[in-house]
Amino acid sequence: MRFWELCTRNLKETYRDPLALGFLLGFPLVFMLLFGAIFSGDNVAHYPIGVIDDDNTPRSQAFINEALAKVPMFEVSTYDDTTTALKDLKFGDLKAYIVIPSGFGQQVSQNWQGEEADIFLQMTYDESDVMVSEQLISIINAVTRSFARIEIPITINANPIHIETEITEIDFIAPGIIIFGLLIMIPTSARIMVSDKERGFLSRLLTTPTRPLDFISGYSLCLAFIAIAQIIIFIAAAWVFGMDIVGSLGLAFLIFLLVGLSSIGIGMVVASLSKSENQAEPLCWIFAMPLAMLSGCWFSIEMLPSYLRNVAYAFPFAHAIDASRAILIRGVGLEAVSNNFLFLVGWAVVIFAIGIILFRRSMRS
Amino acid sequence: MTSYSAKRAKASDDFAIQTFNLTRTFNSLVAVDGIDLNIKKGELFALLGPNGAGKTTTINMLCCLLKPTSGTAQVMGYDILKQPFKIKEIIGVSPQETVISEHLNPQENLNLIGKIHGINARELKIRSRQLLETMGLSDRAKEQVRKFSGGMKRRLNIVMALIHNPKVLFLDEPTLGLDPQARRAIWDYIIQLKRGKTILLTTHYMDEVDFLADRIGIMDEGKIVALGTSTELKASMLEKHTLIIHAQNLTQRLIEEMRSRYAEVEVTNGTMEISDKKLDFEEIVNLLHAFGAIVRSASIKEPTLEDVFLHITGKELRE
Repeated sequence: MRFWELCTRNLKETYRDPLALGFLLGFPLVFMLLFGAIFSGDNVAHYPIGVIDDDNTPRSQAFINEALAKVPMFEVSTYDDTTTALKDLKFGDLKAYIVIPSGFGQQVSQNWQGEEADIFLQMTYDESDVMVSEQLISIINAVTRSFARIEIPITINANPIHIETEITEIDFIAPGIIIFGLLIMIPTSARIMVSDKERGFLSRLLTTPTRPLDFISGYSLCLAFIAIAQIIIFIAAAWVFGMDIVGSLGLAFLIFLLVGLSSIGIGMVVASLSKSENQAEPLCWIFAMPLAMLSGCWFSIEMLPSYLRNVAYAFPFAHAIDASRAILIRGVGLEAVSNNFLFLVGWAVVIFAIGIILFRRSMRS
Repeated sequence: MTSYSAKRAKASDDFAIQTFNLTRTFNSLVAVDGIDLNIKKGELFALLGPNGAGKTTTINMLCCLLKPTSGTAQVMGYDILKQPFKIKEIIGVSPQETVISEHLNPQENLNLIGKIHGINARELKIRSRQLLETMGLSDRAKEQVRKFSGGMKRRLNIVMALIHNPKVLFLDEPTLGLDPQARRAIWDYIIQLKRGKTILLTTHYMDEVDFLADRIGIMDEGKIVALGTSTELKASMLEKHTLIIHAQNLTQRLIEEMRSRYAEVEVTNGTMEISDKKLDFEEIVNLLHAFGAIVRSASIKEPTLEDVFLHITGKELRE
């Protein structure tokens, strides 16, 4: 059980180092606190939204009254035509207006019955107000998807309260911040491994009967424990700030753990390619910060140009944000996020395998 | 010339460490250049040489950390290329840099190495208590080592190489950067260890070698340039004797007279150094008196390992 001895040593080295511990938990926690303070409580921003219902079906009405109107930060007013709505938008009385085209109700019904049908909404907004418009698009997107994908057939009218609509900003932002916290595992993992390499600890232990696999298991296990502790703390903090947990917490936890393992894998690759902490740290940040931004940790990536979105979806983090939001906010099950889930499993397995191969190689002289 | 396989056939049970044309190059740099060493069981063998002579590279190859470019070596009969893990079970290594887990206490550091070597908890407890006491660390056995002084960390660095009671011990510059008092304490401890264990020590301190080593290999530019006990190495220098005289009134006439009789005469600030294959002590003193010099002291200069090194390599050992 040499790997276990190494794992406990690595854990002690981490939790007894106030700087490392503070960075590991404090950095994302500060983000969480900041976003929590901004978006929880009564100081929620209020966005006046106009709606023009060209469909005028019970479903489109339900969408306006049960979905859009229940978003706390929306003040929804209905309009008969786009001309008046556009005038109000130009005067600043509206932040945006949405046109529900005819056929919307039928498309929603098809989705409810399990047939996939594209939903079309037309939204007009002031593009000069970048932050607001971006948030609006994200929230309307989330609300519509949640409305359309609900798996209750036509009986929806009898029980419209089941529609999940109380999406607050903290619900939307918390999964992203948790993923950001787990992205920080990239520099942390690399630092722990490279500092042992740089200070000769690895060489010293290589003069004992310790096998390379003992090292890799010792580090991975320790880092996995750290990731688990992080996930628990972040979920608890998000819950304190008012994040609703609609779906399976266990499934969300699993998604987060896969993200943690992918970060550890990337950290291992960086550690194998670096000779010193001075090399590893910047390398990790160059990697982690753009990834956090691209993956939508802090804001929605709906606005990104498609080529950048493609880059984001080549990494596991954007998938994990989508999947964890769907689970936590909309309460979907594994089957609904199976593509994201399989991508995460695949990524974790492949990056870990590459990490192990490279790290083993870097230990040989 | 003896072939490589024939040399290997000479591997003997009497030796703890044997190297066979052991060579390591780093790109174009030859760090260790075909050394053949035989270190007897129970011997404390010192590799003496300046920085960059190839001492640490040699140790790293013997510890199976570094593969030789050519040649091989055996440690307690196990081949470094074929049975590295057999060797790792029976050796203890104290690296040149102090390598300890800073946020662990000494006890935990020892437990880590001990458990990796499969020592049971009871034995580990007894051994670590003994070792920490001997090294004067038992008072602070439960304190994180990052708060320790350099000397204390260095002692723990050595103790960590001993916790599993290895048959062969490698000490790479064990007293590097320590003050004289701390160095002396570590020397005393190494003397105690000499019984029963084979120790390979590298250093560039001559006094350390003089005090500790049974046998010395002087290393320069990757080669063993001289081998023997301290006495043997110094004796090789005795083809030339030096007399040092502290005196007043050393006149030019006296110096010229001395130079006419002896091979080398140097005078600086009232000190005259006379060197030659043969020195007649009585004749020199009489001459000094005859020329009116007032002699305060006269002594024969003993050769040092520094002289040996200088004589062999033409370079000085920088401390």
